[in-house]
Amino acid sequence: MSYYELMGTFELSFIFAILALGTFITFKILDFPDLTVEGSFPFGASVAAVLITTGGPFFSNPWIATLIAGVAGFGAGYVTALLNVKFKILHILSGILVATALYSINIRVMDGPNVPLLGVDTVFTVFDDVEFMASYEAKTIFLGALVLAIKFALDTFLATGVGLSMRASGANAAMAAANGVDVGKMRLMGVGIANALAAIAGALFAQTIGASDAQSGVGMIIIGLASVIIGMSLLPSRLMWHATFAVVAGTVIYRLAIAVALNSDATGLNASDLQMVTAFLVVLVLVVQHYTSGYRAAKKGRKS
Amino acid sequence: MIDLKNIHVTFNAGTALETRALKGIDLQVAKGEFLTVIGSNGAGKSTSLNSVAGIVPVGVGNVLVDGQDITKWPVHKRSKIISRVFQDPKMGTCEDLSILENYAIACGRTAPKGFGFAVNKDIKEQAAENLKILGLGLEDRLNDKVGLLSGGQRQALSLLMATTGDTKVLLLDEHTAALDPKTAAFVMQLTKELVAKLNLTVVMVTHSMSQALDTGDRTIMFHQGKIIFDIAGKERDSMKVADLLDLFKKDQGEELADDSLLLG
Repeated sequence: MSYYELMGTFELSFIFAILALGTFITFKILDFPDLTVEGSFPFGASVAAVLITTGGPFFSNPWIATLIAGVAGFGAGYVTALLNVKFKILHILSGILVATALYSINIRVMDGPNVPLLGVDTVFTVFDDVEFMASYEAKTIFLGALVLAIKFALDTFLATGVGLSMRASGANAAMAAANGVDVGKMRLMGVGIANALAAIAGALFAQTIGASDAQSGVGMIIIGLASVIIGMSLLPSRLMWHATFAVVAGTVIYRLAIAVALNSDATGLNASDLQMVTAFLVVLVLVVQHYTSGYRAAKKGRKS
Repeated sequence: MIDLKNIHVTFNAGTALETRALKGIDLQVAKGEFLTVIGSNGAGKSTSLNSVAGIVPVGVGNVLVDGQDITKWPVHKRSKIISRVFQDPKMGTCEDLSILENYAIACGRTAPKGFGFAVNKDIKEQAAENLKILGLGLEDRLNDKVGLLSGGQRQALSLLMATTGDTKVLLLDEHTAALDPKTAAFVMQLTKELVAKLNLTVVMVTHSMSQALDTGDRTIMFHQGKIIFDIAGKERDSMKVADLLDLFKKDQGEELADDSLLLG
């Protein structure tokens, strides 16, 4: 792998790490398996792309467009959680319903299956003429800093009263309610934030590859899950700020593994094998985890 | 402090499985009173406790606590004035969170932290100080996950958490039933000490007739969705389990057919 390819892998890793931090909130903190991201990721991309290309003097500012994409993603997640909390629709089904609806909505938003972002200012345009390094290096560093900033913001939030209440809602809903936590409200907020992050990732992804595409959401849920599972399996810890770091690291490790597998001629794999390789990696990590934790438990004389 | 007015609860209403769990319960519990509740399975004792906690919606009737009509309040709103200890030690705490974090959640019940930090120096000191009362050494294990604790330790912690802050009413749902006899005795002793210290109004559901008579200052018995007797004072002080059985037989014209009540 060349240096340029490596930087490209890091760049995508950091974008997907934002998505993975959202997946961490839903799957790990709220215990709410949320499939909305398959729709909210391209939703964020669509909203940002349309605003950037046709938003007028204020909304075509890529930073504002990206932020509004996040707000739109929050709305999508909020609807998913509302279907579950208010109307008692199964959480997985709620997510599938919203993601399915978003597929059509995205095509409506873009007035077509895609919107190219060529010749317009994106959040990455400012890095085009940095003096002391290549623009792709500056872009990667910027995205790394952004991911860390989001990670620290999430860590801080989870340490607040509301954040701790959210963790309790996922860990033991009956106990949380008995301690004054409005579990439904926590789900609305948490799933909303998770999809806001997915939408921001989608908006940045579109600006990186130069287009928003209605199909770009396919496989997002497994990317998020793979990052969370790989990260938390390789770097297990009971501290929250370690766990969020593990998620970011997990995304990078996962993307590197994918890049190596798909780029090396020896494996005979090509780009369309991405989903299969991802599924294989997740299964591999879970199987290894199953055997090693079973072994550890057996050594201590307990049943696994 | 607690005032139940003509409470009716029906499960699966309008279906073949319709069960009338409570058939018009009227019950007043005075401030500072320690009420024990017995009854066989399906008698309605847990349902009535759950109707106070807000878990079971009340079909007909009103629930008043501390002068407020809370019939329509959701569980989390009621928890500001009512705290609970569950039967299952796993229910009262979050096993993935640390002892300190669990304690902080309990503190948030009456004094929510909002977007302030949940765990601060005050909470930490308060937790360490209160955990010392338990005599289990938990004050030195504040950052351990609760999942590492035994059932008895978790139940003691739940009890301590339920009595933090400005709690007015404590509901105990067979909170010693899942523990071994020695641990159960320890948790029961702790319950009595904490209740006396904080002068709480308590409703304790139990499966054990002897525990019901030995604890608190008033006992009621549920049978088929109704309160069949209500004893307190001198009459109760001199009662033994055998007297309760006689009372049941005289009242209902049948033998009590639930061994667990007698064996408990």
